[in-house]
Amino acid sequence: MLRFLVRRTLGAAAVLLLISAFTFFLFFSIPQDPALLACGKNCTADAVALIHRNLGLDDPVPLQYAAFMTGIVTGREFAAGPCPAPCFGYSFANDRPVFETLADRFPTTASLTVGGAVVFLAVGLGAGMIAAARRGTATDKVVSSVSLVLSSMQIYFLGPVVLGVLVYGTGLLPSPSYVPLTEDPAGWFTGLLIPWCVMAVIFTANYTRMARSTLIEQLQEDHVRTARAKGMPGRTVFFRYAWRGSLIPIVTIFGMDLGSLFGGAMITEFTFGLAGLGRLAVDSVIDIDLPMIMGVMLFSSALILLCNIVVDAAYALIDPRVRLDAGSSA
Amino acid sequence: MANDSRTRTTRTALAALAALAAGSLALTACTGTDSDPGPGPGGKDAAVQQKAVPLGDEAASRGPAPEVPGASGGGTVRVHQDADYDHLDPAQIYTADGGLIASLYTRQLTTYTTDEKGRKVLVGDLATDSGTPSDGGRTWTFTLKDGIRFEDGTPITSADVRHTIERMYAPFVTDGPSYVQQWLSGDGTDYRKALPDGPYEGDHLPDDVLETPDGKTVVLHFRSPQPDAPFALAMPAYGVVPKAKDTREKYDAAPLSAGPYRIASFKPGRSMELVRNKHWDADTDPYRHQYVDGFDITFNHSDEDSTKRLLADTGEAETALSFTNGVDPLQTRKALGDPDARERLVQGYQPYVWQMNMNMDRIKDKRVRDAITHALPNRRILTLNGGAYAGEVAGGLLAPTVPGHEKDFDPYGKLAEPDGDPQRARKLLKQAGKEGMRLVYAYSNDEIRQRQSVVVADALEKAGFDVQRKELDAGTWYSQLRKVDNGYDIYMTSWAQDWPSASTVIPPLFDGTQIQDGASNYSHVDDEHVNSEIRRIGAITDPVKATKEWSRLHRYIVEEINPAAPISYTRQIQLHGSRIGGARYSDTLNYIDPTRLYVVKG
Repeated sequence: MLRFLVRRTLGAAAVLLLISAFTFFLFFSIPQDPALLACGKNCTADAVALIHRNLGLDDPVPLQYAAFMTGIVTGREFAAGPCPAPCFGYSFANDRPVFETLADRFPTTASLTVGGAVVFLAVGLGAGMIAAARRGTATDKVVSSVSLVLSSMQIYFLGPVVLGVLVYGTGLLPSPSYVPLTEDPAGWFTGLLIPWCVMAVIFTANYTRMARSTLIEQLQEDHVRTARAKGMPGRTVFFRYAWRGSLIPIVTIFGMDLGSLFGGAMITEFTFGLAGLGRLAVDSVIDIDLPMIMGVMLFSSALILLCNIVVDAAYALIDPRVRLDAGSSA
Repeated sequence: MANDSRTRTTRTALAALAALAAGSLALTACTGTDSDPGPGPGGKDAAVQQKAVPLGDEAASRGPAPEVPGASGGGTVRVHQDADYDHLDPAQIYTADGGLIASLYTRQLTTYTTDEKGRKVLVGDLATDSGTPSDGGRTWTFTLKDGIRFEDGTPITSADVRHTIERMYAPFVTDGPSYVQQWLSGDGTDYRKALPDGPYEGDHLPDDVLETPDGKTVVLHFRSPQPDAPFALAMPAYGVVPKAKDTREKYDAAPLSAGPYRIASFKPGRSMELVRNKHWDADTDPYRHQYVDGFDITFNHSDEDSTKRLLADTGEAETALSFTNGVDPLQTRKALGDPDARERLVQGYQPYVWQMNMNMDRIKDKRVRDAITHALPNRRILTLNGGAYAGEVAGGLLAPTVPGHEKDFDPYGKLAEPDGDPQRARKLLKQAGKEGMRLVYAYSNDEIRQRQSVVVADALEKAGFDVQRKELDAGTWYSQLRKVDNGYDIYMTSWAQDWPSASTVIPPLFDGTQIQDGASNYSHVDDEHVNSEIRRIGAITDPVKATKEWSRLHRYIVEEINPAAPISYTRQIQLHGSRIGGARYSDTLNYIDPTRLYVVKG
């Protein structure tokens, strides 16, 4: 297991390095000049040159890249003062430390993701199990068709509808907002309830369908049939044998979903006016804000990679047949 | 200066802002056409605005500001904003949303007061009056009031004012205006050479440029007469910064207050909390009030979202408003149709004038420019910009907010023929012998501009032009146009005044000596009469006389040169909760005035 983790971590670092280089050099290949956004009403060539100097865009791009990347590890010295590691520099748009902004946005995204995941996993897997257990019955058909309809919904459609009814129309729930869990747990819960539920509706459907089909498959497996033939109680067969077997594909998909949600649920954040990493990513691109773009990209990619590693490690725990360190005993 | 449809406030004060400003109002046009734009200041208000803004004396500059009728203290106002502020350091502020928030926490040497009848006066803010000119307007002397303090309790002195101006020479200050610096030390970016590091390395401007003989006196020695100096100094960018607490670049995140409110917390992209500044003394301030306990600002509210909340007017929304979000165009009719909501609307003119620039290097025949002007369907262009409530068809190039604007000035009959006059255009084109002339029409790939380009091209084709549409990237739109050799014939831009005088409209747009890459004479007007008049009128010290002369020059430019076809003037409509009192549109801030708000006891 240890060797697996080391190997994967090194791999992830290499991927991050590639992503960072790609993003950095891509930025300079687009015909946009961030100086033009900070240039006042008389944007003459002199003024643009001054801003380039201020932003450090005068140096050759590879040098800028090297300075940026070493800054993440060692910190950097700016005219405005020292920027301690991990230093992603200062935003072009508002001169604030990028890392501070990332740290400020992450809890919103994390709350949105974890809360949403709890809801959609509980509802999705539960419904999938019921449908599988009652395969072919009316319950199965209702669950399956409802999940099909819901999976074709989009947050940008469902979100405004729910807001229109529950917030603007009846005033039953407050407008979505984020307050830190530590400050006001009740406010945190009610503020995020609508986004969680809307996200859950969309994601639930996938999990319902997946749980149903993999469970049905598993229920037809030899080992399950054997267990049943030996007279094991139905419930034990279902959960200990069939369910465990169907977990691997679900965990795989969940890991990917979780990673991308952590990286920023852009549409959800825009629909509900929440300021998380997704909105930050979009805003930083609109602002041509290189340090922020780099910060969000690396941060989000790291989260996705981390989720992938965790998922792969989880395989070993779920399925004893999986050996992560080929040739050795995990 | 406003929020664009991408939900983000653009940072630049470039006229791009203006472009986005009007564009922000809608993605989908409101279907209204000629109907009554509702209550609030309309044409009558504009008539007041046409007069020159008078300079106030010591009595007019004295605090406290007259009570707002019915006002009482207490309560917190909730503010729903689309986008976060890019700058809080006054020196970097050149946008309307920045200017509005700054009005709560910063003060300049001068500011404006507006009485209940809408009469506006330029008065002393930190200074005891609007300034004393001498040496033919080259020298301006300001005396600071007693009892003015920063939020930490330290008195504001002439050294702070000197520091405020000198730090604007520092290389990190690039976003703000540079009028005063240029007048003091040199045109373009040359002024920076006078103080390359700002005041931070111990250097200062010499006494014959900026003088502070004692703790209360500030003397500015300009290179030439500057009758508009008190107006320039009223810009939020000249808001005072404490010498002892200046943190250079970092000041942008946490400025010290000199106004009625201070910033208690600021989470970029998320929220901001303003609370009372106990060191602000109402007796020193002729303009601002401190009725409410504070402002709770949250960001990321689209126009659609803030309008829905305010229309519903339930719970927290009763004491809410938005400083800069307009009424969502799709909900404007609903707001106007609902008698309860109608009462809660605030509206007025914004300073932007949309115009179709005609590149005079390429279109030399005035008859062709006139043909284009007659052909353009102003009303249809305006409707796509956000509907009848977002503005009105323009007859000239001076906004109703600029002194010297003439309501009935309409040499090309745009008010009578708002959808264009293709026959007349065709005739003019024929006279010029240019039927079928090719016109390269540039527009940005913003959704609204794309839709406008269709109606523009269609109308010009009908008038006999061969239109070649050229779509440009929205992000680099203005920098492409600002190249002298841009290669385009016509392009639509907008411009806004920096203070209520045509001196911040006509020279930047039409001064032929200022044609260079990056400058704003988009049409490349280079007319001897215009150039010399700009010099002459710029030196007139009597604002009433200057206004008359600017107005005359404006007539000449539009009638005799016609460098840009007038398209539309811009308006703003905003909504507030039912328990917000004192809401009034400010044509200085271009939005609702936050300094006079109070919460009605529930």
